[in-house]
Amino acid sequence: MTSAQLMDARIENYLSRLETAMRGISARDQEDILREIRAHILDSVAGSANGEAAVDRVLGLLGTPEELAGRYRTECQLTRASRSFSPWLLLSTCWGWAKLGVKGTLAFLVALFGYATALGLTVAVFLKPFMPSKIGTWVGPEGFVAVGVPAHPEVMHELLGNYFVPVMAVVAFGFAIGTTHALRWMIRKRLPRQHSEMTKSGAISLEASSIAISKR
Amino acid sequence: MVNNSNGDRGQHWEAQLRKGCLEMAILASLWQTRLYGLEILRELSEKSELDIAEGTLYPILSRLKSEGLLESEWVEAEAGHPRKYYWLTTPGRRRAREMAGAWSEFAGKLALLLRPVVGGKER
Repeated sequence: MTSAQLMDARIENYLSRLETAMRGISARDQEDILREIRAHILDSVAGSANGEAAVDRVLGLLGTPEELAGRYRTECQLTRASRSFSPWLLLSTCWGWAKLGVKGTLAFLVALFGYATALGLTVAVFLKPFMPSKIGTWVGPEGFVAVGVPAHPEVMHELLGNYFVPVMAVVAFGFAIGTTHALRWMIRKRLPRQHSEMTKSGAISLEASSIAISKR
Repeated sequence: MVNNSNGDRGQHWEAQLRKGCLEMAILASLWQTRLYGLEILRELSEKSELDIAEGTLYPILSRLKSEGLLESEWVEAEAGHPRKYYWLTTPGRRRAREMAGAWSEFAGKLALLLRPVVGGKER
């Protein structure tokens, strides 16, 4: 293999790994990103006396394909999710964010708890007409309240009766909307967007890992 | 050893400070003209000694575009492959101006506080 072929093979290998690592990003964006990164590598290498060393250098500065794809995903998803009302997008964004730190983990737990509660209550509302005597809001002897099918029906009594369906539908809806708004708020706070944030603390609060201090 | 750890800590806050300015610097680099990624890196490096890893720049450009602050277009180049040029949209120019204003105000106030420190005056 000649040196030029070796360089090409290295670049193609990087781009194909990047493509694999970009799962979850739209096909159009993926194509655009691959094209831009390819152009960047070729421009950076052009005119270098030692092509192979130049390829190594630029690939090093880009980071591994997996790291690069991860950065794209985080930047794109957080922006999209902050404007979205889709629980699925918010949940999957928080899952990705959770891997980056404590705030993300907290957001993911809020998402999981909020949406799981809303889903559980919705299922109970739909099952109520089919199992009217089993599903309800049960109060035990010690004042313990549970929604769903009681563990010990003999010692508990039902609280809401005919109001179960409308009340629980409203509560489930409230949980879903409340969780969505809480997550959008948390994600917006994370985005370094407003200049007011910058003057307060944002200017010095972002992760520093990806800046190269040393002069080239 | 002690010197070393102080050095690391020094670099750490400097890195954080630089990173925080990144978005503003990228918008500012596009104030005069449209540029492609590598030109933005060179502009930042030459004018402000802000050396960003390319793996950081491109995802940020992509986000700024999806926020509507930048617009982009593929342009055929003599190099044999097209290049993606970016420029500021109207909201992007507004954001750059706001950020620059807030930054200047902040830096101006801080300069007063720093003057004796820079001058090396002791109490």
